[in-house]
Amino acid sequence: MATAAHTRPPFWRDVRVLRVAGQAVFVILVVVVAREMFLNLEFGVRRQGIDLSFDFLQQRAGFEIKEGIDYSPNQSFLRAFRVGVVNTIAVASVGIVLATVLGLVIGVARLSPNWLLRRMAQAFVELIRNVPVLVQIIFWYVAVVLALPVIGGGLSVWGVAYLSNRGAAIPWVRAEPGAGAFGLVVLVGLAAAAAAWRWRLRVHERTGAPPRRFPVAAAVFGAIAVAGYAATGGPLSIEVPQVDRFGYEGGFQASPEYTALLLGLVIYTAAFIAEIIRGSIQAVPKGQREAAEALGLTPGQQLRLVVLPQALRIAIPPLNSQYLNLTKNSSLGVAIGFPEIISVSGTIINQAGRATQMLLLVMATYLTLSLLISAAMNGLNRLVASRGALR
Amino acid sequence: MSRPPAVPRDLERAPMVGADERVVEVAPVAAPATTREWLRQNLFSSWPNGLLTIVTSAILLYLAFRLLRFVFVSADWSVLKANLRVYMTGRFPVEELWRVWAAVYLVTALAGISRGMLLRTRWTTTRVLSVAVPVVLLIGALLYLVDSARVWLLLGVAVAVLLVGTVVGRRLGPTRRAPLLVAWVLAFPAVILTLRAFGGVKPELWGGFLLNVIVATVAIFASFPLGLILALGRRSRLPAVSAFSVGVIEVVRGVPLVAWLFFGQFVLPLLLPAGLAVPNIVRAMIMFTIFSAAYVAEIVRGGLQGVPEGQYEAARALGLRPARMMALVILPQALRSTIPAMISHFISLFKDTSLLAALGLFSELLRTARRASASIEFIGLQAEALLPAALIFWVVAFSMSRWSQRVEVRVGVGER
Repeated sequence: MATAAHTRPPFWRDVRVLRVAGQAVFVILVVVVAREMFLNLEFGVRRQGIDLSFDFLQQRAGFEIKEGIDYSPNQSFLRAFRVGVVNTIAVASVGIVLATVLGLVIGVARLSPNWLLRRMAQAFVELIRNVPVLVQIIFWYVAVVLALPVIGGGLSVWGVAYLSNRGAAIPWVRAEPGAGAFGLVVLVGLAAAAAAWRWRLRVHERTGAPPRRFPVAAAVFGAIAVAGYAATGGPLSIEVPQVDRFGYEGGFQASPEYTALLLGLVIYTAAFIAEIIRGSIQAVPKGQREAAEALGLTPGQQLRLVVLPQALRIAIPPLNSQYLNLTKNSSLGVAIGFPEIISVSGTIINQAGRATQMLLLVMATYLTLSLLISAAMNGLNRLVASRGALR
Repeated sequence: MSRPPAVPRDLERAPMVGADERVVEVAPVAAPATTREWLRQNLFSSWPNGLLTIVTSAILLYLAFRLLRFVFVSADWSVLKANLRVYMTGRFPVEELWRVWAAVYLVTALAGISRGMLLRTRWTTTRVLSVAVPVVLLIGALLYLVDSARVWLLLGVAVAVLLVGTVVGRRLGPTRRAPLLVAWVLAFPAVILTLRAFGGVKPELWGGFLLNVIVATVAIFASFPLGLILALGRRSRLPAVSAFSVGVIEVVRGVPLVAWLFFGQFVLPLLLPAGLAVPNIVRAMIMFTIFSAAYVAEIVRGGLQGVPEGQYEAARALGLRPARMMALVILPQALRSTIPAMISHFISLFKDTSLLAALGLFSELLRTARRASASIEFIGLQAEALLPAALIFWVVAFSMSRWSQRVEVRVGVGER
């Protein structure tokens, strides 16, 4: 015992003991506060005459939703919530693609040797970034989309696409019977094209013959797709929207709310993406480009093979956070009555009163969406980081 | 060149030149001498480039024409003229507006003193223009919008307070920074007291731009310490503490702010003890603070990760306890490197105060603007009602970001 006292400090100064004790105190504190809050919650909820179970989700919803997947007021709250989730995904996925394209264009314009174009892109970025996205969404909605001409006198692009205060309509493919089989054929075609791509790359690496990966892969895919299309009986047709007195018929229709939300989100996020693109291209060391030039690569090849792959690697983490922001910002659709997750949940809270459960559901949904996007971007990141490029 | 090698004060910054090494001096790339050369280099360097210039300037001219025509000819600014006070203060009672003016004077006086003490502006032509053009535009707009002589007088006093403050600040000199900082920290409670105390105005009636500023300020001040704690918690070596911090940070950041504001309105009152009645707007402020704290935590974590391990070791070798090590060695370095990210987060927090409009409970700037065009007499003037609100947000956010760039240069972020 006496020797132990020499080698070991007393327990109240032993770091190992203190660490355990500190954590115990912390956990107890958290548990006590959480329990107190939960008791308050239970009490408050009971006073409102409701409970904390999720059973109400099965009840009849009883309210209309203006757009989205198939739904009627006779279906359950859960079904209504699902409509909101699908609408959120519809805005976020299209928004991410369009914002990336627009951001890329503006980001490259920011680096243009042309002074005027460069300055214009900069002015755009400074203007858009410093105005709250909600202000922009509401502006697009009330001052632009709703201020468009009424449906009869709306803008028409060669009689196939329309824009009016009822939203936009563009031609879209319509699936006929047999589309499912054709979808499978497309997947097979993609796999075959990928195999052809890899084969050409191997040939190129072994013999030095021109790779021609893109034309070969495209030809393989095209042949399979055309043959499959004919074999399944031509299951797709293009549907041109028609205008009647009350709205559009057929084609892909975007409601005014969807159009305004998408416009707002895409333009706002594109301004941030443009800065990311510019920063990542500038972050590639100058020597890389000079080395590529010394190897005799053409300017196009320098960009495609040397600069962009490295810039992409730098850009992916911040792009990921912009995609997450766009997805979260799609919740602002609630301010213009677009039935996405938050506004459907708001309606459900008004009808059923179970705010706690609904908000838990909302949080779980957004966290899942965030995780999915992050996982996809991490996958892309690994691909880019390991191979150095998307070959 | 045979300069005697001066002893550099800061080794890292000075180029290390040995006595017999030759300093290679590279001539700067020649700046274009004439306007014509500049035009050729920047706008017409090649055929496609020249074409691009022509197309871009055509678009630009068209946009400028449309904008000018809208502002001066086709727009009907009556909606702004009639609602100017509401844009600024919402439903704040007119007979109590002196409180707002008093708060404005307090802040302008402090701003003036800070300017005088800290800023040594060298008035180059661009600087003069960048101040003069907005001032002229502002005066022009006010000439059109403000008819009342009283408001002009009050605005004049504000300008006078700013100028007097600048002169006083200059007299005080740049040495008394600590009292200035204390004054700024105290200014906020003072403003709240001015609005609230002695039969003042309830928070429920605060509105307009005033409300945006107050909510943003509360969230900025309150979220900073909270975020600092969360960041330290996340890096704690106690697994329970760091797991809890990570959980809080990730959940808060993964869910949109609107959802948190709904949470603040519907669920937060249930979590608090039943007897505690917290006003709507305070609950919104709490949610803004928590939301912002999670982001501040991530920014601080980035700063902490940037502090080299050797600094920790050195501090421990000096016998500093963990708390003093953090306070004296680690945090000062970590926080300095986070200034740019922090300011840009606070800018976006200010922009986010517009989300109060989505709740439909508070008459902040955006909702005020949206409702202004809803009344019968101003129907159809949505653009005219919304654009001033957008402009106000833009001016504040843009000037804050410009200011942050200057601060960045001054504190030498990225240089040490």
